[in-house]
Amino acid sequence: MRWWVAVAWIDDLIREAEKSVDEVEVFSVEGESVSAELKTTKVSLATTSRDCGLGIRTIHKGRIGSSSTNNKEEWRECLKAAIASGKLATPQEWGGLPGPSDLPMTPLAFDPDLTVEPATARELLETMLSGAQEHDAEVTAGSAGLSTTRVLLANSHGVRYSDEHTGVSVSLEAIHGQSTGYEFDSSWALDRIDPAHVGERAGFFASESAKGTDIPSGSYDLLLSPLAWAELLGNVFVPALNGRSVHAGRSKFAGMLGQPVASEGLSLYDDPHLPGAGGSTRWDAEGTPTRRIDFIEKGILRAFAYDLKTAYRYGRESTGSASRGGYGGLPGIGHHNLVVDGERGTLDDERVLSIHNLIGAHTANPLSGEFSVELSNAFFMEGGEYQEPVRSAMLSGNVFDLHHTIAGLGNDTRNLGSMILPSVRIHNQRIIGK
Amino acid sequence: MHDISYYDLRQVTGASTHIDIDNGVVESAGTSFFNKAVLRVLVKSGWGVLQIDNYTPCTGTKFDELLQQAARLANITDEPVRLGDVLHGILPVPPVKEDPRDVDIEEKSRLLAEIEAGVVREGIVNRRANYVERDERVRFLDSSGNEYEYRMGRSGFNVLAVASRNGNVQMGYEREHSIHGFNLRHQQEVGRKAAETAVSLLDAVLPKGGKMHAILDPELAGVFAHEAVGHASEGDLIHEGNSVLKGRTGERIGNENLTIVDDPTLPEFGFDPVDAEGVSVKRTEIIRKGVINAFLHNRESLASVGNGCAGHARAMPGEPPLVRMSNTFIQEGDATNEEIFSECKNGIYLVGSRGGQVDPGRGVFQFNAEYGYLVENGECTTMVRDVSLSGDILSTLHGITLCGNERKMSPGYCGKGGQSVPVSDGAPYILLCDAVVGGSGVD
Repeated sequence: MRWWVAVAWIDDLIREAEKSVDEVEVFSVEGESVSAELKTTKVSLATTSRDCGLGIRTIHKGRIGSSSTNNKEEWRECLKAAIASGKLATPQEWGGLPGPSDLPMTPLAFDPDLTVEPATARELLETMLSGAQEHDAEVTAGSAGLSTTRVLLANSHGVRYSDEHTGVSVSLEAIHGQSTGYEFDSSWALDRIDPAHVGERAGFFASESAKGTDIPSGSYDLLLSPLAWAELLGNVFVPALNGRSVHAGRSKFAGMLGQPVASEGLSLYDDPHLPGAGGSTRWDAEGTPTRRIDFIEKGILRAFAYDLKTAYRYGRESTGSASRGGYGGLPGIGHHNLVVDGERGTLDDERVLSIHNLIGAHTANPLSGEFSVELSNAFFMEGGEYQEPVRSAMLSGNVFDLHHTIAGLGNDTRNLGSMILPSVRIHNQRIIGK
Repeated sequence: MHDISYYDLRQVTGASTHIDIDNGVVESAGTSFFNKAVLRVLVKSGWGVLQIDNYTPCTGTKFDELLQQAARLANITDEPVRLGDVLHGILPVPPVKEDPRDVDIEEKSRLLAEIEAGVVREGIVNRRANYVERDERVRFLDSSGNEYEYRMGRSGFNVLAVASRNGNVQMGYEREHSIHGFNLRHQQEVGRKAAETAVSLLDAVLPKGGKMHAILDPELAGVFAHEAVGHASEGDLIHEGNSVLKGRTGERIGNENLTIVDDPTLPEFGFDPVDAEGVSVKRTEIIRKGVINAFLHNRESLASVGNGCAGHARAMPGEPPLVRMSNTFIQEGDATNEEIFSECKNGIYLVGSRGGQVDPGRGVFQFNAEYGYLVENGECTTMVRDVSLSGDILSTLHGITLCGNERKMSPGYCGKGGQSVPVSDGAPYILLCDAVVGGSGVD
């Protein structure tokens, strides 16, 4: 590939590293992005950024070292720092970085029609604004961003993988009196987002919630939107599937393989090759080929996620779950396209308290699963229709217990980036009214 | 050529060092380097901003080309911006007792391991400690000829203890972060405290939610000030119409005894010698004696909204500045702790913070305590866990009826617009009457 010609220094780096350490891994990122921001209905700011970064990991006699920099020309200093860092680490069982696999290098989440142009960002904002006009609400803020990123992974066993991905994201905030609405969308492809719908929804929630009234404390059947459900899953449930947390005693799921952890209808898996999904990749952040992982099958816990470090330490195999937040730091355990699925149905025929979003889900107790959050844009629904909005109320419960009381999954599916899921109906949850 | 009315450039270079110890194993330790800059250019129609990784300072035609590039970007903007008149100037960075850069990483690692070992006790199944140190060199210049340069370091550690018994898993978490230099020495007690909290929580009960009187410790009361008042007073949100405090300057929002301040000049974790727009920093009384007094501003929101002080622009390295809090606190009053507990009589006492969130436009906030105790007849009784508070900004502050006579600040990080900046929050002990308490306990 053409790009490899420009990065011949990586081979120099690897040769240099091999003089002092057993193995070395190089992760390099280059990207461009553009974004535009709305203040009320006017575009007030346009930004472009050029990012570049280099992360180096060295392994010597089971000691893992790392460093990063955004000046690639100074890779020698960065390599020195990585080797020095390795000398501090406690040695661990280590079976080596992966060698090269014959993987296709055609990108899975790249849109050639997506150009990183300010004018496109502005058009996206304008389309959102027109969508928001359908409702009686004022836009307070919004943003639209486009990006393209080139990623390169190389190691001393001959791995030379490259990938290119694109991204587009939009969000809009609206208000009516003291009622707010927020909506967003993101994808790797320009034609996979719907900015008009984002604007319409933000306006809808702001204007409709304005008529909200208080409700008494008590037990209610809930309909959590994919967004609200993802907040609870992402802050508590998904971290408990992390192999490292499991073996370290920091996961509620430790020792529970083969046991029920959710209602029978629920399955949860990571599918890194899902067509059209934003997290799709053929290799993980350490160069391990990715594959589908079935974490929960029909309510039964079947697997945990591992990267190489955790797998070697506890005598398991990497599940290809290594991910990086950026070029800096070490790879950790993550997921690619986490899908929640099961038998679908209509959930809003009978009266139910529908919740669009939550405030404060990150304050949940990640170990015990207890949470207590404020509702955002909650409504009673019946016969498929939004009815009385709720002004303000708290939801308290336990994320782990809640997944045993699932009444059904909706017919909708929302792609929230790295999580793809429907809405969910849950029996008898405690609401604290005002 | 575009007509550039203003530009500024902020470059941050530096290094970050981390050590992560998990159950006695040094998982990783080392140093990384960064160099990030942001160039903002103002033309008639709005802002054009370039974010540049690995920036090399330049002058002459090369710099002019960057300015023009940013100005061209602003072709898509259509909101004319005025910048408020401000004072410029820089405060000295407080001296450090011991510079972390003078301590070698092996010693840091050994000291952190001692703190982590302090967590070991019966009932503890996992312990973890991490150290973070950031050294930043900031260079600022603008088209009006202002130029500043300073170096500042922040360092500190977190320690986590996990206790488990019969499937009941609880945690204790302590953190100490400082701008005053190396703080890993003589801290084993902090590890022991985390362990004690985690083990005690195994026997704590879930409180039943509802309306009750609540006593907040200084850390949690500080988060309350930050979430319930601080964010809603940010000038950019006021300008956008996304805050319930908009247009309410001079209105009473709390009792005479309530004063809430943001002060970047305080030598606490949120200290800034100069703000990210080169504006001199200043104490701002957001609420004075129960009345909405002043908003937090950058130059743009000062010009468009007024009623407040600029000098509150802050930014992560390479990111455009936003209006942010720094050191936010409830001013101390004159009540003793005995008076606060006796006035509360029956209710709940809440300790520490697991964070919070606010919707400033709706005026609704939520935040979570680490643990607490039921208060019965003015005395702490049963320990409780997983309890949060929520409320309406415009009505809840009236519930603060007593403020203690001693204030304490706690360090933390605050997120906004995808940027995280160091802050501190603080308060004295406060009594909050008729608080809405969330908890999943049942009778």
